[in-house]
Amino acid sequence: MGGPYCCGLIPNLELAHHPQLIGQPLVVGYWGQGAHVLACSEEAAEAGVRPGITMRNAEHLCPAAFVAEPRPGATLRLRERLSAALYDLAPELEVRYDGTCWIGLEGLPAQHKSLAVRELRRRLHQATGFDPRLGVAPGPFSARLAARRAQPGRVLRVEDATRFLAPLPTAELDLDPELMDRLELLGLRTLGAVAAIGPRRLESQLGPPGRHAVLLARGEEPDPLAAWQPPRCLSAERQLEPPVEDREALLFIARALCGDLAAELGLRGAGAKQVRMLLAVEGVAVPEERASLVRHPLSSQAELFGLAGGWLREWRPAGPVCGLVIEVPELEAAGRRQLRLWVGGDAAAEEVQAALERLQERHGEQVALRLAPGLTASGVPAQRYVAEPA
Amino acid sequence: MQESTAQLQHAIDKVHLRFGEQALLRATRLPPAEPWPSGLAEVDRLTGIRGLPKGRLSVLQGPTGSGKLTLALALLARATRELAQSVVIDHRVGFDPWAMAPMHPDLRALALVKPPDVATAGEAAVALARAGAGFLLLLGELPENALSPLESAASRSGSLVVACANARNAALAHASSLTLGLERADWIYERDQLVGLRTRVTCLKNKLAAPGAATELDIRYPLGAERFPEKSLAIVFNEGVKPWVVRTAVG
Repeated sequence: MGGPYCCGLIPNLELAHHPQLIGQPLVVGYWGQGAHVLACSEEAAEAGVRPGITMRNAEHLCPAAFVAEPRPGATLRLRERLSAALYDLAPELEVRYDGTCWIGLEGLPAQHKSLAVRELRRRLHQATGFDPRLGVAPGPFSARLAARRAQPGRVLRVEDATRFLAPLPTAELDLDPELMDRLELLGLRTLGAVAAIGPRRLESQLGPPGRHAVLLARGEEPDPLAAWQPPRCLSAERQLEPPVEDREALLFIARALCGDLAAELGLRGAGAKQVRMLLAVEGVAVPEERASLVRHPLSSQAELFGLAGGWLREWRPAGPVCGLVIEVPELEAAGRRQLRLWVGGDAAAEEVQAALERLQERHGEQVALRLAPGLTASGVPAQRYVAEPA
Repeated sequence: MQESTAQLQHAIDKVHLRFGEQALLRATRLPPAEPWPSGLAEVDRLTGIRGLPKGRLSVLQGPTGSGKLTLALALLARATRELAQSVVIDHRVGFDPWAMAPMHPDLRALALVKPPDVATAGEAAVALARAGAGFLLLLGELPENALSPLESAASRSGSLVVACANARNAALAHASSLTLGLERADWIYERDQLVGLRTRVTCLKNKLAAPGAATELDIRYPLGAERFPEKSLAIVFNEGVKPWVVRTAVG
């Protein structure tokens, strides 16, 4: 286990789509066959509404509640946006739809840890409008329980997870009702009591969830974070209104887009292994496309524009262009050295070699050759030297 | 007047602050062109800066048989020995490395680009100049629209670009910083045998120093040419010491 972790708790992300209803009872759920509550605000929860109960029951419990349809697509995008916004705080992070966010603080200096926690609070509030409850603890599970006990906008720090967890009720383990009843029958009402039993003994009673429960109660954190990874595809696009016919203008825009992509690639230390350009042409449904796989990952604006600009210069679009998209669907680590840091022949030679290989990728292997002596006394000029692809 | 000067200075300061001191330089503070000594003292003297200018385009211009390719190959052979990476871009000229064999090139530092068309030749030239190829020899045509990017790419990376042109090419002449015109003056005979040619080299254009200087060069065919299956216009070591024999220097 790495640790420590900071957990930020906000209401379910479905509720963040209705900022105007913050502070009022709100229920999000499906109507129709098998209608049930997906999420509810704290005000609705105070009236007894819980996720999973039927919508009719929720309506009965809290007649004043506003009811909204779920928006899964928007929630997915919000989760991605939140993850991307938190990614520079810590590389290990997880954001769940239920509003639980974790960031790993391992390896950060002490002053940066508190800075990261403050930033987490600020960014969650900015993105969703809710004041998060925050908990810092040695593991994700204990951090989440600490956050549940913090006031909105405040941080609860836990140094010793075992001591913190011991008095908490077993309901925090989120077990099935049937297993909870069996724990009750066994007389295990706190996490401390569960931790005192050996994992094998509880496993023999409850099966694998029993073992898992003991490890959680002991603060051994059997569940690592499902760390979010930034999307592998980057793209930059520009809608052109009015449509553009001038090639120079398109080149200018493409250069700017390549600059944006290069900046993003630089942040990730990545290079583009594949580049694709799409031109949306006025009156044509399907955009025109050019794509290329490159041997050496492209990471600078000049390298990206070298490829994209080359396409644009010879492109004959069927009409005025109303949109330009440059995508890098395949990324990999920017493998080459920071050549400009090196002074001397090796850097130049390496850059020239990369330029030759890019030419080969575009025009075939025989376009760039290296020479070696062959039959120098031969009467046929072609035999005197051996030319091999560079 | 003072107000507009202050505004201009303010704008210049903003550019410096945002893009660095090198982004905008006063003409009086522009760094001078760095020379690359070619090893041919008389050619270096013609340039006025004691060498071919790095980061600039130099053109060798003259009719067929005037010795411009031989001069270019001599420069290339030296560049392969001295610079990290040299490249020949050969668009339908038929570069034959055997022709410079007597000049002892280091082939490990040489790459040959054979573009299928003129546009690709231009693209390759710009890409390689941008990448910082030490010496770039252009044989054959280049599209006009590639010359300006080529100039700026070479200027940024410091690549030395040399082009060979048969006839006067207005676009190439305009883009070049140095143009040397070559013209065959005479054949050289010894004991009734043709052993070389004498060529007159004139500095037709020079952005870095005064043009107009001229000299004459003797280009000798390879010694022991009978060992080779065909005659080559390669420069060989004359008397085992100097690769060139300078007869006279005019201007």
